[in-house]
Amino acid sequence: MKRYKCTICGYAYDESVGIPEKGIAPGTKWQDIPEDFVCPLCNASKSAFKLIDDEVQPLDVVADADSAEHVENLKELTYGEISAICSNLAIGCEKQRLTDEMNAFYKIADYFQAKVAGEMGKTLDDTAKMLDDDLGVKYPAAFDAAKADADRGALRSIVWSEKVSLMTKSLLERFAKEGEAMLANSKIYVCDICGFIYIGDTPPEVCPVCKVPSFKMLAVERR
Amino acid sequence: MPAYRNVRLCTKDCMCLYVCPTGATNTENSIIDVTKCTPGCMACVDACPSAAISMVPLDYPPQQSKAKVVIAAQRALALSKVKQRKIASDVAAGAEKPVTRQFAEAIAMSNRRMSEDILRESGYMLPQSDEVRKLLETMKDNKASDFPSEALELLLNKLQSTRK
Repeated sequence: MKRYKCTICGYAYDESVGIPEKGIAPGTKWQDIPEDFVCPLCNASKSAFKLIDDEVQPLDVVADADSAEHVENLKELTYGEISAICSNLAIGCEKQRLTDEMNAFYKIADYFQAKVAGEMGKTLDDTAKMLDDDLGVKYPAAFDAAKADADRGALRSIVWSEKVSLMTKSLLERFAKEGEAMLANSKIYVCDICGFIYIGDTPPEVCPVCKVPSFKMLAVERR
Repeated sequence: MPAYRNVRLCTKDCMCLYVCPTGATNTENSIIDVTKCTPGCMACVDACPSAAISMVPLDYPPQQSKAKVVIAAQRALALSKVKQRKIASDVAAGAEKPVTRQFAEAIAMSNRRMSEDILRESGYMLPQSDEVRKLLETMKDNKASDFPSEALELLLNKLQSTRK
């Protein structure tokens, strides 16, 4: 009997236990579970589950990140990046009860966001392709760099947003296949802290990714 | 460090009103009056049965230094999220059907939060840091008529540097 773990929220499916309340009897093999199965906690698709391998492979990371010469000189920040930096600093000022500073950062963020160049004619299919590149190339590189430098903050942001990206990718795949029917009878929530997208009637008690309480999961209106 | 009351946690036991030596907690809107609050006093913090009051620091530690490879990798991720946010918000703006618009808006919101968080962890966490000041200084030459220069001026004047 094997166990499979949801890579988004950490829920574990145990073949010997099954999920009787969902009609999955104890002893049901993973491969016999229907493809439209979703995680009972976070609604991630079946493809987001990985076999739990009890023999953990130690990570072998070379700690010479700082001396690496292949890092090109950092390019100037783009308008979109400056906007995101400033809107995040606005949130920081809010936490420090600095209301005037918060508003000032938001104004500057809005100014730069309005200047972001359009990605002509691109669709959600293009964001799905960009997510493939994020997940296949950029996340592993960022993870290795942060790990080598023992940068806890960077690692945290990578772990959270990689999970959010995995979920979004699986939602985009479903949307491409099922179209709007996929969302017809359910609500959409976005975690205001990490960006996790939840599709369902009521959000889970805590965000499956960053574990913030559900009052930070904001409903996106249908207009 | 002046005190701050978290309205979400407050259960109106009003012990802060009872113990405060200066009356800073005695306000109409329940927000502790920082002009009356004695920094470091802590009387209300210790008295509150709901742990709803905490102290807001006046000084913050300097930004931790970041390895260049880490910044480069974070920036690459952030830029991808920034572009995906733009695509999704343009899709939402041009969507004919409400469901598509809603879904695209959710993706734009999600990418916004991700890009903010990834960039925060590439050296821009604290508003008072040298890194942020440097970024703000680069905007001084922006003479565009729609640039909010009064906002920039306020930040340059009011944000205290963390450098000692």
